[in-house]
Amino acid sequence: MSVDDTVADSDRRKNRYFFDRHSAQYRLQFEQITEQMHATCPVAWSDTYGGHWVAAGSREVFELARCPQVSNHHDLTGQTPFKGISIPYAKRVNGVRGGILEMDDPEHRVYRNVLNPYLSPAAVKRWEPFIDDVTRACLDEKIENGRIDFVDDLANIVPAVLTLAMLGVPLTKWAIYSEPTHAAVYTPEDSPEIDQVIAMHRQMGLDLLDNMIQIREHPRPGLVNALIQLRIDGEPAPDLEIMGNLGLIIGGGFDTTTALTAHSLEWLSQHPGQRELLSTQRDALLNPATEEFLRFFTPAPGDGRTFSGDVEVAGTHFRQGERLWISWAMANRDPSVFADPHEVVLDRKGNRHFSFGIGVHRCIGSNVARTVFKSMLTAVLDRMPDYRCDPGGTVHYDTIGVIQGMRHLPATFTPGPRVGAGLPETLAKLQRVCDEQGLARPITERKEAAVID
Amino acid sequence: MKVSVDQQRCQGHTLCSMIAPDSFRLDDIDGHSSPVSAVVAPGQQDLVREAARSCPEQAIFIEEETP
Repeated sequence: MSVDDTVADSDRRKNRYFFDRHSAQYRLQFEQITEQMHATCPVAWSDTYGGHWVAAGSREVFELARCPQVSNHHDLTGQTPFKGISIPYAKRVNGVRGGILEMDDPEHRVYRNVLNPYLSPAAVKRWEPFIDDVTRACLDEKIENGRIDFVDDLANIVPAVLTLAMLGVPLTKWAIYSEPTHAAVYTPEDSPEIDQVIAMHRQMGLDLLDNMIQIREHPRPGLVNALIQLRIDGEPAPDLEIMGNLGLIIGGGFDTTTALTAHSLEWLSQHPGQRELLSTQRDALLNPATEEFLRFFTPAPGDGRTFSGDVEVAGTHFRQGERLWISWAMANRDPSVFADPHEVVLDRKGNRHFSFGIGVHRCIGSNVARTVFKSMLTAVLDRMPDYRCDPGGTVHYDTIGVIQGMRHLPATFTPGPRVGAGLPETLAKLQRVCDEQGLARPITERKEAAVID
Repeated sequence: MKVSVDQQRCQGHTLCSMIAPDSFRLDDIDGHSSPVSAVVAPGQQDLVREAARSCPEQAIFIEEETP
């Protein structure tokens, strides 16, 4: 590096901010840090984690997320600066890329085109009766005793069961998949529990691999089959890329929707007037309120990227190889786009939020997330309208560096009658329905909604 | 008033059809949006403006009629 480069670097990086989103302080001071960055450095250089850029302003996030020189690619050889979406570099990845989220076009597009017909709005709509029945069964398990943990007993279960159904994995396996997926997010690397989490994660991986092998031998519909059938220049996709994409679908499908649902239910318990309003005027409010909860809580708070070339964006010069953190969560609080950004406004207008990302990597499960969230939320409003969350038993994730999530959200409510079978019986029935009706087929092969008997 | 959706920009966030379901249709396979008709009916204009404001990708373009 020449003297000129050094000078140029200090000039390019004159806006500096010590940014550590993995610290507990970041969670506790999120609003102040966000306001400070918006006011002084909507793009800043941070020396943390080997040094990286942080984009916090909505304009900067919007431009950078759509910039052709900003790459998602993850080079597993470690020989190039492309390190995918994790900052710091995720040691646990064990030689697997994070599916389409760690690919650039055209490769990304090849895989995405195969997944889209399972996850489009029309494809997800077919699952609504199925989703509502899983939700119903979860609530029936608890409705008579007046107590529920919205995370453990509802929001961990419904997204997991649906994701397995869409994959083509047996529904009864949901617990093998659910626990390690959530625990991997909230357990720090230095925790005494980490070994157990890694062991559970390995068990999940083996089960997934087992399913992949079975489906390759005896095809059954679903996302696993879609990835197995994919051909790239006449060749099947490498097993590691299939596993990476399945891991992404599971990781993306589970913890994020759980996080959104738990935070929204907690907020509605704290604001009973707003809850009443949302419940009674849900025809008008359910859609905008869902988008507002997505904006405000931003379950997936951001993504890492790597600059694939030198580029100037929004007045800052970036160099090839530099790393970047794009903060959807902070962009979502930018007052230049969102009036009263730190307020939840159920009927917010012009809510062009960043919670599903921007650009070609828009969350491919966004339609699943919304549909599952709405099913759980409306069922709780209908069947447990006076629920009250217990702040003493509520456990938020210590840090919000990866997912802004919750581990437990216990609540009490006036007990009510069961309206159907419990969860095990319901899952057995729904497995039969999946198999008989071929629910996991893509929208190109099946247009009809699920029929639940 | 006329409306168009830039197909290079649209990524299938679906907010437009949530806000103005009579004015935008979503592709069955990838959820990308297109206007039901380029000319917006008078009763739909406010909703289409709100859809354009709410598009995360800023992919919706409106041509207001010049008086």
